[in-house]
Amino acid sequence: MLSGIDYFIVIAYIVGMLLLGLYFKKFVNSSEDYFLGGKSLPFWAIGMSIVVSDIGALDFVGVSGQAYRYGISVGNFDWVGSVPAMLLAAFIFIPYFWRGGMYTIPEYLGRRYNQKVRTIASVTWILFFALDLGVLFWASAVLLNVLMGWPIWISIISTAGVVGLYTYFGGITAVIMTDVVQFFIMFIGGFALVFLSLYEVGGWDNMVDKIATMGPEYRNHFDIIQPQDTKSPFPWTGILFGLTFVMANAYMIGNQSIVQRCLTAKNEWHAKASMIFGSALKMFIPILVLFPGLMAVVVHPGLADGDQALPLMIKSILPPGLVGLMFAAFFAGLMSSVDSLLNSTATLFTKDIYEPFIKKGADDKHYLKVGQITTLVLLIIGVATSPISSDFPGIYVAIQTFMSYFQGPIFSILLLGIFWKRTTEWGGLSALVIGIGFAIYLNVFKEQFFTIEDPFLYISWWSFLLGVIINVSVSLLTKKHTAEQLQGLVFSSKILVKNKKL
Amino acid sequence: MFNFDWLSGVSQENAKMVFLSLYAVIGILVMLLPTEYIYEGIPKEDRHWWNNLKLWSIAVLCILASIYNHF
Repeated sequence: MLSGIDYFIVIAYIVGMLLLGLYFKKFVNSSEDYFLGGKSLPFWAIGMSIVVSDIGALDFVGVSGQAYRYGISVGNFDWVGSVPAMLLAAFIFIPYFWRGGMYTIPEYLGRRYNQKVRTIASVTWILFFALDLGVLFWASAVLLNVLMGWPIWISIISTAGVVGLYTYFGGITAVIMTDVVQFFIMFIGGFALVFLSLYEVGGWDNMVDKIATMGPEYRNHFDIIQPQDTKSPFPWTGILFGLTFVMANAYMIGNQSIVQRCLTAKNEWHAKASMIFGSALKMFIPILVLFPGLMAVVVHPGLADGDQALPLMIKSILPPGLVGLMFAAFFAGLMSSVDSLLNSTATLFTKDIYEPFIKKGADDKHYLKVGQITTLVLLIIGVATSPISSDFPGIYVAIQTFMSYFQGPIFSILLLGIFWKRTTEWGGLSALVIGIGFAIYLNVFKEQFFTIEDPFLYISWWSFLLGVIINVSVSLLTKKHTAEQLQGLVFSSKILVKNKKL
Repeated sequence: MFNFDWLSGVSQENAKMVFLSLYAVIGILVMLLPTEYIYEGIPKEDRHWWNNLKLWSIAVLCILASIYNHF
């Protein structure tokens, strides 16, 4: 599929990423440098990094496929599913985390609730990230195998080698700065495909007219708001309650790999600005990943598997050279996801597990070394577990479903933790455990409770709501925290008017 | 109840108004934030209209509202 120029672009991209990432090794002298970039990074780099690590190669294919099947309503995930949550994060949560000098979200939960809540949250994220790593390695290997003919194991080891080397030595600074380059590669490759596809279908209006005449199943293809009784997974009620109110906030406020980036900002303004700048960039993502799927409805009608839409569009639309660039864009998506998982998991393990449970009070160089060794161990685990993906093709979906159990309850304890000072440690712990259990129960018996096939948006809402109810009820029955315990951890109007004191 | 059947009578147009109203409310809340808080981290002499995060937020919300209004 690739021509000589395409091979050159892809290999130049991979080598360039490795050299750029390794350049940042010289800035790593302490654990703060490794995990928080020495708190020295500008908003624009962090904003781009947030966006690019959020969108992986699997999302390129998956979202295009969903746009092919369900239309423009898939864009809700990057529009209403990002902007309000990122503004809430920018103006309320990030300043607390940044001023508190925190490294991880579970660290906040530990200070606000107790060590058990911190450990449960941290272990869940570590498990999720570690499992995801193997899946991503396998996905990148399949991509390299199909497009360049590389054997699977060579592909896995080369991906792990390149990303692992710069993440091991350069820490989060290398992760963020390589993300910046990956952002431009993704946008240039993605927009090239969109513009050429638009030309192929005769422009936007022509495409809309053609799709409108293709049958009743395409009637709502250009309605961003789907009716409550739609058979698609995106009814407006699910988008509003499940996505906007819960999942988006849980992702932007409770996801370590997103929030950790903002904590690397050089000052509070840059921390806030990085989220808002990221939200502006996020609005372009549906154009890159959704529009090719819509255009494929016209160019390749009647596909049984919507996930074929994007590969077919690349094959039929892009000339040599741009295919290589688009492939580099895919690879950029994968690399940015893998490096984020590596660094975030190393941070979670070092700060939430190793430091409190294995070796307290060691010198800073020791924790820096632990972070680097954890990165190495994770790489080995990721490579070793990657073949599981071939034995269980649905594992990526299974991991995402597993995470959706966690989103509602974790956001409920974050929200009440910061906005309601009466919330107690036992309230938070009960809400987390019972909320996760309830989400699993709803998913196992979903046919009995829901009319749509994939009700993950509804499950996140109801598990969030139960988390709030349990947290409030148990908190009112247990001993409240003292003002000293809550210092700097609960929202106060003082943060808005006095600035220095929380 | 779990499927929000009680909202089945709300038309797509009205549902769209719910989303647009949400953006308006967020915009108002952002505008209510004290200017000092918005600029925290920037020395007073370097504060300009282009690094006013309220304006950034309102611009993003306007684009978002335009998308939902159009589709």
